[in-house]
Amino acid sequence: MNLQELLTIFISAVFIYNVILSRFLGICSFIAISKETKPALAMSFAVMFVIVTSSAITWLVYRFLLLPFNLTYLRTISFILVIATFVQFVEMVIRKVSPQLYRAFGIYLPLITVNCAVLGVAVLNIDMFFANDKQVAGSFYYSVFQGVCVGLGYTLAMLLMSGIRERLELCNVPKAFKDFPLAFIIASILSLSFMGFSGFNF
Amino acid sequence: MKSLVKEFTKGIIKENATFVLALGLCPTLAVSVSVVNGIGMGIAATFVLLGSSLIVSLIKDFIPSKIRIPCYIVIIATFVTIAELCLKAYSPALDRSLGIYVPLIVVNCMVLGRAEAFACKNNLISSFCDGLGMGVGFTLALILISAIREFLGSGQILGYTLFKGFEPVFVFGMPSGALLVIGLLLGFFNLLNNKKT
Amino acid sequence: MRNNLIVSGSPHVHKQGSVPRIMWTVVFSLIPAGAAGVIIFGLDALWVTLVAVITAVFTEAVFGIWTKKKFTVLDGSAVITGILLAFNLPSNVPLWLPIAGSIFSIVIGKQVFGGLGQNIFNPALVGRVFLMASWPKYMVTFVKPFSFDAVTSATPLAALKEGKILEHLSYLDLFLGKRGGCIGEVCILALLIGAAILLFKGYISWHIPATYIFTTAIFVYIFGAKQLFHGDWLFHILSGGLILGAFFMATDYVATPLTAKGQIIFGVGCGLFTAIIRIWGGYPEGASYAILMMNAATPFIDRYTKSRIYGTK
Repeated sequence: MNLQELLTIFISAVFIYNVILSRFLGICSFIAISKETKPALAMSFAVMFVIVTSSAITWLVYRFLLLPFNLTYLRTISFILVIATFVQFVEMVIRKVSPQLYRAFGIYLPLITVNCAVLGVAVLNIDMFFANDKQVAGSFYYSVFQGVCVGLGYTLAMLLMSGIRERLELCNVPKAFKDFPLAFIIASILSLSFMGFSGFNF
Repeated sequence: MKSLVKEFTKGIIKENATFVLALGLCPTLAVSVSVVNGIGMGIAATFVLLGSSLIVSLIKDFIPSKIRIPCYIVIIATFVTIAELCLKAYSPALDRSLGIYVPLIVVNCMVLGRAEAFACKNNLISSFCDGLGMGVGFTLALILISAIREFLGSGQILGYTLFKGFEPVFVFGMPSGALLVIGLLLGFFNLLNNKKT
Repeated sequence: MRNNLIVSGSPHVHKQGSVPRIMWTVVFSLIPAGAAGVIIFGLDALWVTLVAVITAVFTEAVFGIWTKKKFTVLDGSAVITGILLAFNLPSNVPLWLPIAGSIFSIVIGKQVFGGLGQNIFNPALVGRVFLMASWPKYMVTFVKPFSFDAVTSATPLAALKEGKILEHLSYLDLFLGKRGGCIGEVCILALLIGAAILLFKGYISWHIPATYIFTTAIFVYIFGAKQLFHGDWLFHILSGGLILGAFFMATDYVATPLTAKGQIIFGVGCGLFTAIIRIWGGYPEGASYAILMMNAATPFIDRYTKSRIYGTK
């Protein structure tokens, strides 16, 4: 584990292979909730939190349950169950402990279970940091770090998009392109401009 | 009989998952680089949709409503795992090019949406028709998008070159091209709808 | 009876500036750079520019008629988009390339957002990154300056990226534009003349260009070489599209922040991204990507740099 490796993961997860703009994970929530900045930001934090914790949990599940018992074919089903349970649990805890926090982003938590970004990162971590059913060195830390970076990438795309769409409220966009179509076109231009980072190396 | 036909056809045009409901867009955007991928993903998703619709409508009376979503997810995940293993066994090349988007059918909002909105309230046969219609509509949309992208991005359809001297527009093979095609198609269909009304 | 009474807040002095007036002045200020491009790269440069401009104006007109909006072709904004797009192309591209780029610029970069004054991104840059992603092989082969028989050469930045040493290029060569590159970016002298016109007229302010160039220079000076604080900052300022971008594209009225503070943030951001892409990125030049990314951040910058309304907290 060294700085260079971490920087590479950071740049590629945030810009080059941005979860939303390049891997298209979580695009439904991205299009639906990016109309205003405040909910967009709350959603992003919720997603980031769930992604980071679930990449740690699914890594542990895979390494200490699925691998030793030769159950790797149950990856999809066990991951989605673990994530769903975890999200449900967090929602209950937040509702109990801090109603204020619950109102701020608890309402987005149930949606996050079916957010492809969460499961996507979990599967991606396994694909990237396990070689032939053996963990690569520092695999756990890389997985968690990749979770953080993907969350940051999600937040970045959400923030930019919500800022732009709030401004578009004041523009007379052609009727046929209002809302969804234009959101996709903006995402496309964002994706084009993030391509400036492709081929990055230190 | 007539209503069954209606359940089937509504998923293709009037309630098309991709263009009208804007559901299940992640795999649509990600795998539509080539028509082969599009068809493969369409069939896999249709299979999962059919299977889960059938099972959900069969056991809908036994599922406690409080934990219905986790139940649906387990059912869907089971079919996704079946699809995943079949793909790995019979078409490893396709499996590699679809990558992580096969397991991600689990969280495809279209599949869960049909279980929640239709299969849990209707009988076996109409759920089957509904699932089939939705699946076919999804597949057709995927074929349309991937045909546009494959032709513009590489100048080919299903691997055959159509015009000589056409300079492929590489951008359509890239993520931003996918977003652009979807955006323009959605705008185009809006335009058609506005004209009609 | 026509109503000539316009109700507005004081002071009631009218400044002689309107959208078409500003736009045509910008067009005028771009002429020196274009002329320099034609002198350096031959008549090809002229054809590319003309084709880009005509296509842009034509597309704008078609959209204006189709959407039955006010006829906006004559305000000159489409002409600017066409010129700026052409200035970002090599002179030896096939002529359908500027056509495709101009159509994309006007339709995707401008009209789907609602036309003039509503675009989020600089239209010409949207067109350029589209072309760059679509037909990279045409976008990165350049004609050697003053050799009209289309001998290809690399731009100084591209050569630098490949690790070649550029001993035969002096700073004066770079300043006058004796190097491979895009039509409008090579002659720094001509660009500065145009920029001086705009600055003198007060149509652009110094905040964005100055902070942009300064940040790039500082960052390149620190990280641009193997050793820290040994980067060749003057070389980086004089090569690539930095000057063209800083004065003519990062100063787009619509897609950049409104307040001075916001513009400084914008300029610093552009500079950072440009330098980062130049030093570590896969592309030799990052100006267009940097400006587009900051365009995307503009609504956000605007929100947090809004001037306080007097009397509020």
